[in-house]
Amino acid sequence: MAQRSPQLEYKKRTIIYYTSAIIITMIGAGYAAVPLYKIFCQVQGLGGQASTGHDISKVTTMAPVKERSIKVIFNADTASAMQWNFKPQQREVNLLPGETALAFYTAKNPTDKPIIGISTYNVLPYDAAQYFNKIQCFCFEEQRLNPKEQVDMPVFFYIDPDFVEDPALSNTDTIYLSYTFFEAKDGLELPLPGYNQPYSSSQAVA
Amino acid sequence: MSSYTFNQKTIKVKPPEKGSFPLDHEGECKIPMIKYMKCLRDNKMSNTICRPDAKEYFQCRMQHGLMKAEDWNKLGFADLDAKEFKEKT
Repeated sequence: MAQRSPQLEYKKRTIIYYTSAIIITMIGAGYAAVPLYKIFCQVQGLGGQASTGHDISKVTTMAPVKERSIKVIFNADTASAMQWNFKPQQREVNLLPGETALAFYTAKNPTDKPIIGISTYNVLPYDAAQYFNKIQCFCFEEQRLNPKEQVDMPVFFYIDPDFVEDPALSNTDTIYLSYTFFEAKDGLELPLPGYNQPYSSSQAVA
Repeated sequence: MSSYTFNQKTIKVKPPEKGSFPLDHEGECKIPMIKYMKCLRDNKMSNTICRPDAKEYFQCRMQHGLMKAEDWNKLGFADLDAKEFKEKT
């Protein structure tokens, strides 16, 4: 064994070196992946990061599709700790894809203290959400209501005319739009499914 | 992005294009709003028929500084604008 010992030792050592080199590389790659992935997402526009820049030109050029009439049903919710009375002014609206539509919600602060609310929304069915574009609304920004104050909150939206060309939506004639109001406190993180980071009011689009 | 690895459907939530409407605390545009709602109720909640009233509501908002003044075609009212223009001339 005296003959093979140095060779064996050499082999053992090289294997150990290679293995530890691989382990260290993998650990390093794990750490490096975080900033690299962020850069990748920014370039690709995945994960909802790039969807703030809609092309408004779509609104100017789109034409209503008269063959499909869509009903949008409105829903309003408040978080259990939120004391506003929040409801839609209309149960539903019938509209055509490619047509801009206006709808109203009403919120009332029945308490004696000003309350600041912030809202988020959901569109169902899931497949229709990508065609639902809001031009202007009252979501994602803090809204303040003074004691006993009631305001009308408009939502201005349209359904992309490409909606009619989506085979997954050929049987869909009803879309549900649901808003939920939360009380805006420090450190509130809006629960937004699908986002990596919570949407904070400082990020609101001007 | 973790939702992709777990093969779940994510509900996409997009911020609005023009941001948020300033709240109409004084109720300055309540009357056009009520007109629009009445039109909706009279016409089987059809947005198509009630678009002129929606346009009036936005006009009121722009007049009272509750909305940035925009060309009507950017708000999807190009056809109503053209009709008004024809009627005037």
